[in-house]
Amino acid sequence: MNSTRDLGEQLAKVCLETASLDNATYADMRLVNTVIETVSMINENPATEESNDLGAGIRVVHQNAGWGFASTDELDPENIRETTRKALSLARGAAKIGSRIALAKEPVHVANWESPRKKDSLTVSTETKFEVLKDATSAMKAEGVVARRGQIISTKIEKYFANSEGSRIYQDLAQTGAQIVVAAKGPSGIQRRSDQQYALEGYELVDEMDLTGKGPVLTKEVLELTRAPGLQEGRSDVIISADQVGLQVHESCGHPIELDRVLGYEANFAGRSFLSPDQLGKLQYGSEHVNIVMDATLSHGQGLGTFAYDDEGVEAQRKYAIRKGKLVGYLMSRGTSQSVGEMRSNGCMRADTYQLPIIRMTNVSLEPGDWDYDELIEDTKDGILMVSNYGWSIDQKRYNFQFNCEKGYRIKNGSVGELIRGPGYSGITPEFWNACDAVCNKKSWVLWGTPNCGKGQPQQVMGTGHGAAPTRFRNIRVFGA
Amino acid sequence: MSQSIQKQVSLPERGHRIFDMVRKFAHGAPEFEVSLISTAGEYLRFGNNELGQSQFTKNRTLSVRVASGKKQARTTTSRLDESFIRETVEKAVAQLGTAPEDPDYLPMLGQQKYQTVNRYHTRTMEESAETKAGYVGKAIELARKNKLLASGVLGTSMDEGLILNTAGLESYYRGTGGNFSLTMDADNGNQTGFALSTFADISELDPDKVSQTALERAKLNRGQSEVSPGKFDVVIDPYAWSEMLFFFIVSASAGYSPDFGMRQYKEGRSYLSGRLGEKILGENVSLEDDVYHPLQVGPTFDGEGYPKSKLTLVEHGVLHSLASSRISAHRYEDALPTGHELPLPNPLGESPVNLVIRGKGPTRTIDELVGELDKGLLITRLWYIREVEPRTKTLTGMTRDGTFLVENGEVKKPVRNLRFNQSLLELFSNVEKFTEPVRNTSFGGPGLLQPGILAKDFNFSSVSPF
Repeated sequence: MNSTRDLGEQLAKVCLETASLDNATYADMRLVNTVIETVSMINENPATEESNDLGAGIRVVHQNAGWGFASTDELDPENIRETTRKALSLARGAAKIGSRIALAKEPVHVANWESPRKKDSLTVSTETKFEVLKDATSAMKAEGVVARRGQIISTKIEKYFANSEGSRIYQDLAQTGAQIVVAAKGPSGIQRRSDQQYALEGYELVDEMDLTGKGPVLTKEVLELTRAPGLQEGRSDVIISADQVGLQVHESCGHPIELDRVLGYEANFAGRSFLSPDQLGKLQYGSEHVNIVMDATLSHGQGLGTFAYDDEGVEAQRKYAIRKGKLVGYLMSRGTSQSVGEMRSNGCMRADTYQLPIIRMTNVSLEPGDWDYDELIEDTKDGILMVSNYGWSIDQKRYNFQFNCEKGYRIKNGSVGELIRGPGYSGITPEFWNACDAVCNKKSWVLWGTPNCGKGQPQQVMGTGHGAAPTRFRNIRVFGA
Repeated sequence: MSQSIQKQVSLPERGHRIFDMVRKFAHGAPEFEVSLISTAGEYLRFGNNELGQSQFTKNRTLSVRVASGKKQARTTTSRLDESFIRETVEKAVAQLGTAPEDPDYLPMLGQQKYQTVNRYHTRTMEESAETKAGYVGKAIELARKNKLLASGVLGTSMDEGLILNTAGLESYYRGTGGNFSLTMDADNGNQTGFALSTFADISELDPDKVSQTALERAKLNRGQSEVSPGKFDVVIDPYAWSEMLFFFIVSASAGYSPDFGMRQYKEGRSYLSGRLGEKILGENVSLEDDVYHPLQVGPTFDGEGYPKSKLTLVEHGVLHSLASSRISAHRYEDALPTGHELPLPNPLGESPVNLVIRGKGPTRTIDELVGELDKGLLITRLWYIREVEPRTKTLTGMTRDGTFLVENGEVKKPVRNLRFNQSLLELFSNVEKFTEPVRNTSFGGPGLLQPGILAKDFNFSSVSPF
């Protein structure tokens, strides 16, 4: 017996009956049970917290003209009825102002899906996790080090979805993440090195990360960075590490292809997009080496954007956003896809716990290219290698960006040389991606997890996935921190 | 329908019942603390002149901290039935067995006295969705008449919290809040105007003023010119920049963590470490943490229930004092608790959460600041701010939704959006004039009372194509 699924079935029946009695054009309910365990060490101080959040989010449409949403964590049938009525009331109010709602068709799905995991992270003892973090942070002790941090986050999300069209979907997702950070003070001020990964996996992710082994390596690097030279402002060829390329894809491709932004629904907060529908199929967003997919399917990998069905019951799909550099697709919902001529959503509606689903990235990934990493370095006569993100910023239409990295190296005549502290690069998105002339191959391609993407009012936090490999860009503006 | 919650049992009454339940199950934990938090909100979110995301949210969170010796653990649940409370408590007690000792653990805090503040305004919760939708509808209508698209949110919310522990502590707070954030735009965001109002009592909201401000700015912000990047004197609107000011108290250098706390300062983790007594801002600037300010938000006690003191963090530009706690007072001879602990266990350190940024001397209105700017830029909104370098607090970010060239005290023309790379410390050494601080709770960070400013030599590094 599965309690979340059983409770979901029972409450969804109440919700959908209530909505039907009120002649709602459409209704859906998600019951979401989220368990998160966070185990942390900062210097010598440990902390552990486990949270369990169970609640229901209800969406309804009134006369194809108004959406309403209400959520609750009081999960008795009477309160679900009351919460459904609240959503209906909001939908009637919205309909008076005049929306136009047309949901793209989606087959009815009745399914159960469990994400793969080798070792359930929540069943691994807290003591084991503390031991790993204690070993990793102890291994980072050194003269000049001012902060040593480690964290392991284990998450289980159970979702039961039912809609008025007959879909009934239960999903059980296991996510794991870990991070270590070391900061040191020296002649050049405070420097930082870190390592992190988040994925739709079990505790095997932490085992594979070898945090204890990485601790001394990061510590040696951060101490060297406190004495390393900075970077003069100028223009240079750059090779960007896979993790940083992942964030570049997130900010300069993933966000501007969110169709709600493109259509103006996010103009007040997240912003708009320079990738307007009139550019679809026409704009040369990047060079021919740039192929970016939106892929929530398991075959793409176990990323934070991997699932079987999105939060409005649409099956996970793989579609191109950028093909041979050309803009060819958007992240969509059932309510928006037809505005760009697509008769089916590609399944990108996602919600933080049981909040309102909005268009979010799934796994938005740069496909691997042909280059071996070593060959790419050898092929670069004069450039800068930039590794691991420190800070990121981009304008509201996603044109003008600036990224700072934790460390860099000069590349001279095909060899990696001098260490550089705080290197940064900036540019205008389409100019930057059109300056891409080489992407490394599958051997150095990693599906990175970004656990903290903020969007919506009230703000929601979502995990997204970004596959990337080291990539070279020609003649980019670079500078030092 | 309003969002008023018809409760048969008050939160304190429910909290005491839960506390008694926890006592039954917390075998093996001589000390425990129960926190019960309830929130409710109604958010009328609109875009493209459509009210597309009307939302009502309600949730409650029970958090139990148990301790034995120097070990402690915390578990949290939204499930308040007895069986789930039992499971939650038993899980926390089980974790006690395996948790490492916390060298900073102190016995739980006993009964305290708190200064009363009234931050709960019934009307904010009882205002009907229809009335609020009327405000939104008027903004949309105004936008339509002017061939613009309105987007934004009108949100109202309530939060209520109670902390009880085995040492006799009882801390209770409830408050209301909200904001009306509005953008009017056209030409795929190439022409935009922004306005914001925040409130604790919805009676404070003047929705027409918000609509008119967004409209006026959108009308002005058409056909932007490009200015070359470089240093400009600037007037920054008081509602433009919460995210930027947040970096006064947070750094990325050690992973995102608060900065003005005693523990971080003493451990060398803060950008301020070693700088007490140093002049870090202009002498006309003070930075306070004052939960008792009438415009502030939140409870008058910290994460473990200790009463908050008013702090002068920076006085006449000099780093004067730090946020502290019982742990710091126990660790360091020269520290006293000030009520700035986060919920325990807290390895990050203390943080001010009720900042008030003030300028010395008579304040101006934003229009007066523009009138006193000989040549420079009026900035109505800053966006996507991140740290570039921690010690100088060099930040990067963008302007959005209306940046205007001002000459001889008059707005002359709109300009394209600019990226800045600017030290926050240097900026606040170059401020010449201030407005009165305003409350900005829309960012979702700490309670910030922030002024508008007229400042010299703000450094812009590049231009956007729009």
